[in-house]
Order: sequence, then C-alpha cells, then structure tokens
Amino acid sequence: MAKVVLKNLTKTFKNVVAVNNVNLEINDKEFLVLVGPSGCGKTTVLRMVAGLEEATEGEIYIGDRLVNDVSPKDRDIAMVFQNYALYPHMSVYDNMAFALKLRKLPKEQIRQRVTEVAELLGLTELLNRKPKQLSGGQRQRVALGRAIVREPKVFLMDEPLSNLDAKLRVQTRAELIKLHRRLGITTIYVTHDQVEAMTMGDRIAVMCDGVIQQVDTPLNVYNRPANKFVAGFIGTPSMNFLDARVTEGADGCIIDAGSFKVRPPQDKTDLLKPYIGKEVIFGIRPEDIFDKELTSIVQPTADNTIRALVDVIEPMGPIVTMYLTCGNHSLVASIDAETKAREGQEIDIVLDMSKSHVFERDTERAVY
Amino acid sequence: MRTYLRMCKATSALTHGILLLYSVIVAYPMIWLLLASLKSSRDLFENPWGIPVNPQFVNFANAWTKAGIGRYFLNSVFVTAVSMFFILLIGSMAAYALAKLVFPGRGLIHASFTSGMMFPVFLGIVPLFLLLRRLGMWDNYLGLITAYVAYSLSFTIFVLTGFFRQLPSELAEAGLIDGCSEYSVFLRIMLPLAKPGLIAAGIFNFFGIWNEYPLALVIIASENLRTLPLGIANLLMVQHYETDWGALFAGLVMVMLPTLVVYLIFQRHITEGLTAGALKG
Repeated sequence: MAKVVLKNLTKTFKNVVAVNNVNLEINDKEFLVLVGPSGCGKTTVLRMVAGLEEATEGEIYIGDRLVNDVSPKDRDIAMVFQNYALYPHMSVYDNMAFALKLRKLPKEQIRQRVTEVAELLGLTELLNRKPKQLSGGQRQRVALGRAIVREPKVFLMDEPLSNLDAKLRVQTRAELIKLHRRLGITTIYVTHDQVEAMTMGDRIAVMCDGVIQQVDTPLNVYNRPANKFVAGFIGTPSMNFLDARVTEGADGCIIDAGSFKVRPPQDKTDLLKPYIGKEVIFGIRPEDIFDKELTSIVQPTADNTIRALVDVIEPMGPIVTMYLTCGNHSLVASIDAETKAREGQEIDIVLDMSKSHVFERDTERAVY
Repeated sequence: MRTYLRMCKATSALTHGILLLYSVIVAYPMIWLLLASLKSSRDLFENPWGIPVNPQFVNFANAWTKAGIGRYFLNSVFVTAVSMFFILLIGSMAAYALAKLVFPGRGLIHASFTSGMMFPVFLGIVPLFLLLRRLGMWDNYLGLITAYVAYSLSFTIFVLTGFFRQLPSELAEAGLIDGCSEYSVFLRIMLPLAKPGLIAAGIFNFFGIWNEYPLALVIIASENLRTLPLGIANLLMVQHYETDWGALFAGLVMVMLPTLVVYLIFQRHITEGLTAGALKG
C-alpha cells in the first residue's frame, strides 16, 4: 500500500499543454476519482503515473519513491484499461497469471493466487476460456482480476465501466466499491461520468483543460464548487447560471438578474459586499427550485419567489424536469411530479437561496 | 420482383460459369502434368491427352536419383527454410518497430523499405553479381540467402506493418505494466497475435523463393549447390537429345507439389493476411 504524490506535473504534446502543473496527493488506501470532460488531461495524468507517458515537468512519487525514471513494470502498479486490453491469445487463467509468471513466482503459488482471485470475482468457471468467448461484463472482471492478482501498491483504472451497458455499469460500480473496501488498495480512477465520480470516490478531483479545478469529497464538490466549471459539471441536470448584478438593498445585498431580484442568505452578505455594483453569475441547481404550491422545504417570500413561464415538462417519474423562461433567462428545474403546472402556464417558483451560488463574472471563481 | 429474381439467377449462373471456366484453365495444366509424369516417353507421344495406360511410378525414382532432383530438392528446402527464417525474423521486428514505436525518421524508413517493391529483381542482377563476387559471397548459399532475404524484406515489411498497426497499443501497454520489456512485449504478446500476417507473408515468400530462378542462376554456379528450378532447367539442357520426358515431368511435379500443399493448408490465412495489409497498411 502506498500514497501517490504528484508535484507540479506537466505534460506537453508538441505545442499542446495536456496537463498543466498538477499537484495532487492521494492518500494510502484512498479511492480518488479523476473526473472531467473528454480531452481534459485526466487519462494523461493516469498514464504518467503508470509510466506509459513521460512527464514533461514535475515529479511523481509512489510511496516515498520518485518514479519518474522508473519503468512501468517496476512501479508496482496495476492498470485496468478502458477496452480491458486482455491478451486475446491467452486463456483467462493465463491472462491473470501472466504478470506472476514474468515475476518468476513458483507455479503452485501462481495457481493459488489466480484461483483465489477468480473465486472472489466469480470467474472460476471461465478460467479456460479465451477473452473472445466472454461477455463484456466478464471481460471487465477478468481485467480487474488481472490487476488484483498482482497485489500492487496502486490500482489505476481508466474508465473501466464505460463499455458496459447501463444496468451492468451500476452493478459493477457497487462491486468495485465493495472490492476496494475489502482490499484497501490505493486507487486512482478516471472517468468522465460524474455519477461514477460522486458515488465511488472518497475524494474527487475535477479537471478541465489540463488543470485540476477542485479536489474534495463528493459532497463538498457538489455543495461548495470552487468555480463555475465545477458547479456546471457536477450534478444532473446541471446548475442554472444567470447573469446578474449585485446591488445594495435596504438591509444588505440584492442579486438583480433584471427580470427578477432575489436576496442572498444572511450569512453570505458579507462575502457579496465587495461585489456591489458589479456583474456576477448567479447559480442555482435545478433541484433547489420548487413549485410554490408544493414546497414545504423553503418558506416562500418576496425575496426568493419568481414568476416563470413553463416551456416544456419532461416527466421523469418521481420528479419532472421543467424548462422555464423568466424574462430573458432560461431555467431548468427538477420539480415534484405532483405539480399541477402545465406547459404554457405561468407559475410561481421558489429558489432555495441557502443553496444558491454566486461566481465572479471574469474569473468564474466562486464567491460563495 | 420476379424479373429481378430471374436476373439475379442469370447473373449468378454467368458468374459461376466464368469461374468454372477459369478453374479449368488453371487446373488443367497441373492435372495434365501429373498424368504426364506417370507416362513413359512413348505413351506420352501416342496418348498425350489420356489417362496413363501403364502408370510409370519409376519416373519419380529416376528423377530423384538419376537426374539428381533429390539433391536439388534438399538444397531448395535448405535455402528456402533458412531464407524464410531470417525474412520473418528481421521483417517482423522491423515491421513492429515501424508500426508501433515512435522515432524520428520512421516514415522515411518505412517508405524506403516499401519502395523496394517497385524494383524488379532483374534491374539489380549485374551490380549484385559484381558486389557478391567482391565480397566473396558468390557461388555459395550465404550470397544467395542474403539476396533472397534482402529482396523479400520490402513485401514482408509492407504486409506485417499493416498487421501490427491494427493490434491495439493497449495490449503492449498492458504488457509493459505486467512486467514485460519491449522485447518480451514483442515476443510474447504482439508476435503471437500477428500469426495470420506471419503465415501470409511466409507463404508468399515461400512461393517466391521456392520457384525463384534468375537470382539463383546468377549467384550459384556449382552443380552441387543448385536449387530445384536450376536443376530442372539443367535437366532439360543436358538431356537435350535423349530426353526422358516422364522423369522431367516427375521432377516438375516435385517442384510443384510443396507449393500446392502449403497453399492448400494455409489458403485461409493468405486472404486474411493480404486484406489486413491492404486495408490498414
């Protein structure tokens, strides 16, 4: 077991900066998820930790050892690839035993370890099959088995669930979490799926354009996003962003979006004061918007209620996703399915201002 | 709809007819050769198109021992086997490097290798002769095999590069993480996966070298070093006035048979190998 430390890690491909000055400390036994949109550099970070890409600048430590110049095989890591990368000409057993054979372990020990792991993952019946005779889910488990059997210090996983169908993905997600708890091996998990990130990670690191935007626990990232990108990336449907101006009100600040005005929570007023007279971005998540007729969570007042036109309603079962227009702003709201609102109708909606966000207009950094 | 189906049937019948005709054109000389190899010289002239009246298996024995085809055959086996070993060894390594490793000048090296396919062997025969003589490689197998290997590498690298390119790089990376060096990634993972390509390249080289005549004629002078095509040609010349046609045809059957057997065993791989090279190369 080991912790992984990345110091000022940078990777450039010709003139393109794929990873820009990444600093990250992954604790021993931690499950860290690197999440971000395609092309944000998360896989490049993983590949540098694996030794498959050379870092242009910066240092990578596994345990206390600087591994920049250590070859992949000597880093004591195991990797699960997106397309599994099982050796097609070898049986499941040989795929799992391959790394141990290369390490010249005694045959009996290899057999024992492979059998144990196969049992753990329910692969015992499949040991003599070739990868092409397996289903996607089974291949995924073999790839996992091949990594586990090595008993490495660190697991690196590159979108291992992305080739599975939706149902199997949810199931395997839970199995992976259980497995991690049982084995306690430091894991770096790369995904573009924010649901995977939220559900699996002890902490998540959100990346964009080669830069780490925020590293924190899933709930903190969700509740206290560091900037507009993180706020928009985490959460489905994503957060509503509205251009607004901070003005001075009778007892504090007012967020004036033009077509409506709302009052920030009391405890945030001090944070907003320096922005009086300035343009900001007001953010509110769809699930923090309520139908005035139904809400029992938020007390409707003149400072948090706005009138909006219902454009489209998408029924989702327990909730409906409602597309609303308020003046020149568009809003998405996840509203209780009990709502009586109909398309084309004007309704009063209540914003839970205690969960609202404000971002600086130019830097897009969170004010609160 | 009916007219359409009838047209389809007519087209299919026509295609099959043409293919059948083509098969007969290709197969008939071989069958004729096989039948002729079992006839006595007299039978051959009296009954050139028919089934042998009294099959003369002794023709094969005569060809093997008296005409010395046996030695030529073994010479050919040796030259072909050793050449193929080096062609596939060097060709696969070069193709792997060109397909999977990134290094400066890769495109240029690949282009210069494959451009070799554009030069007919006759163009190089005179300078090759002079060069080999000066290097002391004339009239021995070192010279002949070296020439075969060098000449065949272009095509081999062309076919195998296409094959290696289509193998996912993740397999090599998984190998590196599992504990392989670059060499063992090549030997343990990539090479076994390129087997269809190796077989295809192997078969084509086998055909080429087994039947090769002009280079062997120029490089080999000693009688005891002659390969099968040289031997057969020689047989024809020395027997000029007292030709044992049956033995000559038996000799030709012996030349033809190995290629036919190899083709029949591996024919599936030939199409696989060539399409992979063509599409991805």
